[in-house]
Amino acid sequence: MSRIFGIDLGTTNSLIAVMEGERPRILADPATGDPLLPSVVAITPQGEVFVGEQAIAMEPHLTVERDGRIHAIGFEGGEAGAVVRSVKRYMGLGGDEVAAEDRHRYSFADFSGPVVRFAVGKRTFTPSQISAEILRALKARAEAALGEKVERVVITVPAYFNDGQRQATKDAGRLAGLEVMRLVNEPTAASLAYGLNQLAEGRVAVFDLGGGTFDISILNIKGGIFEVLATNGDTHLGGDDFDRLLVDLLLADLPHQLRLDRHIWNSARLAAEAAKKELSDQDQARMKLALPDREVCKAVTRAEFERMADPLVGRSLKRCRMALTDAGLAPGEVDAVVLVGGSTRIPLVRRRVAELFGREPLCSLDPDHVVALGAAVQAGVLMGSQGDMLLLDVVPLSLGIETMGGVMERLIHRNTTIPTNVTEGFTTAVDNQTHVDIHVVQGERELAADCRSLARFKLGPIETQPAGLPRIQVSFLIDANGILNVTAHDVRTGREHSVDVKPSYGLTDDEIERMLEESIDLGEQDLEQRMLISARNDAAQLLGALSKQLDEYGSLIGAQERVQVQECAAKLEAARNGTDRAYISALVEELNQLSTPFAERIMDYAIGRALEKKSVEELS
Amino acid sequence: MMQCPSCARPSEPRLTCPQCGAPLGVELDLFAALGLPHKLVLDSRELERIYHETGRRIHPDRFASATPAVRQASLKSTALLTRAYRTLRDPVARGRYWLELMDEKLAENNQRVPADLAELVFEVQEQLGELRGARNGNANSLGAAMKARRAELEEIVNTTQEELERNFARWDSGAGERQDLVNELKSALSTIAYVRTLTRDVDRALDSATADIKTN
Repeated sequence: MSRIFGIDLGTTNSLIAVMEGERPRILADPATGDPLLPSVVAITPQGEVFVGEQAIAMEPHLTVERDGRIHAIGFEGGEAGAVVRSVKRYMGLGGDEVAAEDRHRYSFADFSGPVVRFAVGKRTFTPSQISAEILRALKARAEAALGEKVERVVITVPAYFNDGQRQATKDAGRLAGLEVMRLVNEPTAASLAYGLNQLAEGRVAVFDLGGGTFDISILNIKGGIFEVLATNGDTHLGGDDFDRLLVDLLLADLPHQLRLDRHIWNSARLAAEAAKKELSDQDQARMKLALPDREVCKAVTRAEFERMADPLVGRSLKRCRMALTDAGLAPGEVDAVVLVGGSTRIPLVRRRVAELFGREPLCSLDPDHVVALGAAVQAGVLMGSQGDMLLLDVVPLSLGIETMGGVMERLIHRNTTIPTNVTEGFTTAVDNQTHVDIHVVQGERELAADCRSLARFKLGPIETQPAGLPRIQVSFLIDANGILNVTAHDVRTGREHSVDVKPSYGLTDDEIERMLEESIDLGEQDLEQRMLISARNDAAQLLGALSKQLDEYGSLIGAQERVQVQECAAKLEAARNGTDRAYISALVEELNQLSTPFAERIMDYAIGRALEKKSVEELS
Repeated sequence: MMQCPSCARPSEPRLTCPQCGAPLGVELDLFAALGLPHKLVLDSRELERIYHETGRRIHPDRFASATPAVRQASLKSTALLTRAYRTLRDPVARGRYWLELMDEKLAENNQRVPADLAELVFEVQEQLGELRGARNGNANSLGAAMKARRAELEEIVNTTQEELERNFARWDSGAGERQDLVNELKSALSTIAYVRTLTRDVDRALDSATADIKTN
């Protein structure tokens, strides 16, 4: 089976890594040697896609031509083609959830649907589709570097991502033709990378301030188990916000209309980003912006920048204190602090973090690489090559249902270790009611309306009965990816109930299927390949089980029946390493049918034995 | 009897298959999930050891490439194991679960004031009212008094919890009248639940009072 790769799908940069022997390694672009792939996607009006540096060159900006004149170039969005950066900020958002300051940055299709859509030419693209392009570029890069197929991946997400944002990330993987084996929280992934050899056992705080998101996770590391005690964060706090402070400063004297111009804004952003980086090493930086009729110049000192940035850093520290409270720890009780994410290069951030925890933070691994390295380690865990290492993460936000009066009833509290499940009983309120509606929300507020709507479920059809009589058990299960799964069954009949899921935001399965069909890059071959692997797995499983059963319960099968089963098994054994998927599947089906009576007899026999044992115990 | 989704051999319903060790994915009572007898006194370190050791073997990350049925079983069993650990490691949650197992209902919502706390509760409520209506000037001193009260409440929870654990030991040893013990368990758990709710109210009032001081 193919190896599993680790992907850091970042706001600013994305990376892909894999375990090589005992250590994770980042796979750089074979052409340029650059380990980082800028998370920027350009789509031409004809639908051609570019990712990374090429896309950056197509962003709208101002440039000085050879004739000395200033020109506005690049794709402005809409009919002209678009360049999207920081798409992660839009993942899982509904149209109405796009922040006011983000609305003028791109051409959006509309602000009312359950999913944000970028308008490009005559088509629209969801954030998952755009992220899928980044994933495809990473896949291509790794395949070129190693000469092997990339099919299965681990993708990292901010720990504070809600259900919808996680689902959108998984959708992106699917759209890129990848099997997403696991989503891992970024700070936890970082702790795995550090945990390989840089960290002793104990309590660790991971402070992860990236390009667009902030996470704090507090972990306890013991005997190879990485157990998250609490996590908190802000999915809209990161390097982009620091840049924006400097952009606002640089553009302060321009008329409002010009400040909204995408060419000007983007050029200003580039100048701001450069100045921010300079201010990490120097006391002063100059930002310059050449406009057609004038040149705008602003000098900024580190002290000034720190004054502006302090409230942002303060927001992250407040989240740290909340996480510490939830973990039941005082700041001084943390044994180590780890810095992750490019924005932790800002001296102010380092200083404030050191002050809060009363110790110097660790940053021996490159803060831009550490999450991808950790993703590769987790991929190693999934391949069974990391020994006893195990990650126990938590759900970042409480999950509950809307009850009478609009109050949120918490079913799963934030910081509960996942996977976790809870079962809740439901019944009808009026006679002969045939459906029960359940509204699932996520968040920490008292009223359901103040939390984020996750999905609405319709239970039913229920047999018509007097009110209060039907009893339906609904199980809410959050898997290791932090994604909710709902199942329901009737208590009296034991029958599984169908649960009609209507996600409040995000894409439905049908929509994803349609996008997959539309996507040209995903060849039929990939699909066939995956189906073949799955058929082979089924065959191996069935043959293994059958051979054990024949060994142990040989007396329960007749001679003729045994010959039939064994002949079919031999055919399957011979076929299962071939490439005829349909034939393997047909044989699996045939063997299953042939051996079912035998399996049933084993079960009857075992039940009989158990009853016998019980009656003997009762007698004695 | 059920069939192990991994090795297909029959097994009693347990957390893991006795033959191949894979998770079976069945629902069990929380003591059984951790392989423990129905005893109320538990060693928290031993509990953590079982949780980690079992979790290591049955977690979905160990079955990433297995069949969907095995993965589903691993998911369910791990969720059960986690729920068992979280419930049983906390004496209060353990006591409540125990009553549930015995079909003894604890009062639905703990609104009734436990008799021996009536006076204290009355005083705390009065203080809360004052703090909520306070202006900047005296909010500080009221806040300090409230914090002292909070410590008092915490102390009550601690002593009641100790009492609870003494009763756990008595139950396990088989000493004493069963019904009396059940009643004592119930009363201790109600007291803790009530005082905890009150403490949360106090914390909220303190939080908003300090926030007011900062913004003004």
